[in-house]
Amino acid sequence: MARAVVDWYDFHADYEYSTDDVPVSRLRRRSNVNVDAIHDFPVDSEMAPAQLYSTESGRLFHSGKIAIVTVGLPARGKTHVSVALSRYLRWLGVKTHAFHLGDYRREHMGPGNDVPHDYFFVNASPSSVKLRQTILQKCRFDLYHFLDREMGQVAIYDAVNPTAEGRKQLSKEFLKHEIQTIFIESYVDDPKIIEQNVRGVKISSPDYQGWNPNDAVQDYIRRMGAKIPHFETMDEHELNYIKMINAGERIIVNNCRFGYLPNRIVFYLMNLHIKSRRTYFARSGVATGEDSYKADGLLCDEGESYSQRLCNALLEHREKEREEFVKQGGNDEELKPLTVWTSTRRRTVQTAAHLQERGFKVKQRPQMSQLNPGNSNMTEEEIKAHYPADWDKHQLDPYHHRFPRGESYHDLAVRMEPIILELEREKNDLLIIAHESVLRVLYGYLMACSTSDIPSLKFPRNEIVEILPESYNNRAKRVPIPHTDTNGAYVP
Amino acid sequence: MASNFGFEQIEDSQICVVMVGLPARGKSLIAQKIVRYLKWLSVNAKSFNVGSYRRADTPQPTADFFDTGNAEGERLRRAAAEAAVNDMLRWFEREGGHVGILDATNSTRTRRAWIEERCKAKGYDVMFVESKCDDEELIMNNILEVKTTSPDYVGQDPEVAARDFRNRIRNYEKVYETIDEPHLTYVKLINVSSQVIINQVSNYLQTRIIYFTMNLHITPRSIWLSRHGESEFNVLGKLGGDANLSPRGMAYAEALPKLVKDSVGDKDITLWTSTMKRTIQTAKHLTYPKKQWKALDELDAGVCDGLTYEEIEKKYPEDFRARDDDKYNYRYQGGESYRDVVIRLEPIIMEMERGSDIMVVTHQAILRCIYAYFMNVPQDQSPWMEIPLHTVIKLTPRAYGTQEERFKANIPAVSTFRAKYTSANMGGEAAVVDAERAQPPVAGAQANGVITINDDVEAAPQKVGAVSVVESLGLNGDTLVVE
Repeated sequence: MARAVVDWYDFHADYEYSTDDVPVSRLRRRSNVNVDAIHDFPVDSEMAPAQLYSTESGRLFHSGKIAIVTVGLPARGKTHVSVALSRYLRWLGVKTHAFHLGDYRREHMGPGNDVPHDYFFVNASPSSVKLRQTILQKCRFDLYHFLDREMGQVAIYDAVNPTAEGRKQLSKEFLKHEIQTIFIESYVDDPKIIEQNVRGVKISSPDYQGWNPNDAVQDYIRRMGAKIPHFETMDEHELNYIKMINAGERIIVNNCRFGYLPNRIVFYLMNLHIKSRRTYFARSGVATGEDSYKADGLLCDEGESYSQRLCNALLEHREKEREEFVKQGGNDEELKPLTVWTSTRRRTVQTAAHLQERGFKVKQRPQMSQLNPGNSNMTEEEIKAHYPADWDKHQLDPYHHRFPRGESYHDLAVRMEPIILELEREKNDLLIIAHESVLRVLYGYLMACSTSDIPSLKFPRNEIVEILPESYNNRAKRVPIPHTDTNGAYVP
Repeated sequence: MASNFGFEQIEDSQICVVMVGLPARGKSLIAQKIVRYLKWLSVNAKSFNVGSYRRADTPQPTADFFDTGNAEGERLRRAAAEAAVNDMLRWFEREGGHVGILDATNSTRTRRAWIEERCKAKGYDVMFVESKCDDEELIMNNILEVKTTSPDYVGQDPEVAARDFRNRIRNYEKVYETIDEPHLTYVKLINVSSQVIINQVSNYLQTRIIYFTMNLHITPRSIWLSRHGESEFNVLGKLGGDANLSPRGMAYAEALPKLVKDSVGDKDITLWTSTMKRTIQTAKHLTYPKKQWKALDELDAGVCDGLTYEEIEKKYPEDFRARDDDKYNYRYQGGESYRDVVIRLEPIIMEMERGSDIMVVTHQAILRCIYAYFMNVPQDQSPWMEIPLHTVIKLTPRAYGTQEERFKANIPAVSTFRAKYTSANMGGEAAVVDAERAQPPVAGAQANGVITINDDVEAAPQKVGAVSVVESLGLNGDTLVVE
């Protein structure tokens, strides 16, 4: 059952506990690629899009079981880090799942109820302590179940974890279960970042309906200060931790030397920041010699007029969104400028020309060249006719199959890792104009699509795909380009 | 231009990496390793060692040359730094370099500001890498091992040299300012990465370099490499498959424990094999803790799996030619190329850098890639290297190069080496050589692939006990040709 919009309170309220104590969550219907699959439990049989090889145990790199524990006050981007990290690890084929303690808390209390005011205090009343334990128990149970019984490799435990003592205990407890722990702290002392986070996520809850947004922000910050008065930043030298300061401006890594995965995680975090931005995908206009891989033709007239319409449609859409945002009390300064990435193919560069004329920054990325189809001078029909056996094999596993001398989607996904990391590190809103194969892989990454879905994702020329990051997941939207048909031709 | 079969360059930016740190902190080692790693990834990288520019003028200085009060010494050292920086900037421009590493102490703020200004003026990114170490034992080790064999102290008594070097360090310590300029991009490695501080990183290539340096350590250790024992497919001259060992291969497996023990001694080492039967069987009698890695499986020959080279030449003649033209990039239909294998090996390489003593039992193509990585063999040569059966290769990475030793088991085996443009067979007939296209075989190879069932494995001249080229000079290219 897909939900396009996340409610602050009851996301994941569809967790249920069956009588035989096995956690159950409702999976989205497999065929719906318009919903971010990042919170589904991973399916055993399929390889992940960028996975290099599979092993019998299901775990990779001999890195064992790892628990990643977040540390930080509310509105520090912990959840964003958890979700983004899950996305990347899953992409590589590491069995990962994020467990948000806040969800368990909300689910336990029920809609509309909040925890007692001393819930987060160090010297809380016995009833509050007992409540804490109950909620923690449920979350821990699911976590151990995932790692032990479902052969998961990385469990991300998303909670505040404010005290040093608590963290040491947690690490010891995990070690008893043969789970290594890495703490990730998001430490922010730049008030602008905090405000932006609060504004982006927290004040859209029913609590603040009708409030002036600035007042809502201040109220939230004050409430959080009163709720969690005591917070110790990480300084325990014997623990493995990664401290991200002010959204990745500075990163301190302590220990974390026990395997290949921890370093890979640090590598990813170096490229991540906690600000959110929108991503747009669009095709290039139709060019001469379109079907042949090698030809690098210029846009034909139809492609020219398409790129004009694309530019107008995108800018109008952004303007509309900006007005909407400001009307709801948003600060104009927080809106991000637009950057455009194209490949080095001339048709993509030309398509971006109108935007460049209007002053937007356009960057060409050689790594974004399209999937090499192999038999380079043939069209799809010709391939079907001349190489029927290959064609059949391709239909069986379009993601992993390579035509002779060509690339598979898997090769493309691995080849595009630098782009994916640059995508995470880009702070401006981003328009990507590239070949359909490249768009499929990037969309597949952002929306956690499976290998069976990626090769058949559709990006017709009369739509711009917009991906908005929300707190728990990404949301995809299709923005129509008026007066255009699926091939980019003009329709009066 | 050879087709890259879809592989594109990893980066389009140019970065100057500046090492920072007191002497004997492993700066040169880190610089060399970064260059090696980037080249392995096809990124054009080069290290510029200021010490070697200084040595051209002042070959055997004493400690007080490095006293900051010594005006003449200061002037000469400053000139050396300028020469190195100029060379680096020129290399960026003229040879399309991507990553240039300036290897020197660069321990004062003013020096760092000067370098930053020079590079930014030309539009290059700058990233500082500081190696900070308080561990006395590590430092002493480093001093004794590296510095007393350094050109500065040639011919001197090691004890005297060590003391003089200690004094040199003290002079540097007087003016040392650790990096804390908040606007600079830097990574600070403290006590060999037990703590790492990363500041203001701005692009992907920088993060890739930092990721790599975090895996490094400077504790001495060795790496033992071996192929599986001779397999049934080897005897038949067939590629790929998952065959068992032949009787001679099994003899190798039985001889292996003694061969390894003689070299390793009593310590415990980690042992890795692939998931294929022949490597597992080869490692059977070794008692060290074992791990199987799928990433170590042999290069997938796709449709050619299970065929001999002549069968391949008959069935896929164009492919056979194309492969020899560009063996590194050529991908078997339905299979892999050497380039694909390199990508697949990345976790292995990282783990090997991170680890200590380790032995790897794997396959020909895989070993070629691993060997090429540690010995800096360029891509057009690595797929043609001779890696004979029944031989253990020991690599000991040292500060200025990697030392190699080979131990033959003296158990005869077929040669699985095939020279370019031949379809050398293992069946005893004369090799087929295409006369027009045959080129002088890569150093050490034999033009006619002949079975060698002598007592001694007839192969390329071995580098038994040889020490590889010192590449600290940084004035020439630092490629190492395997002979």
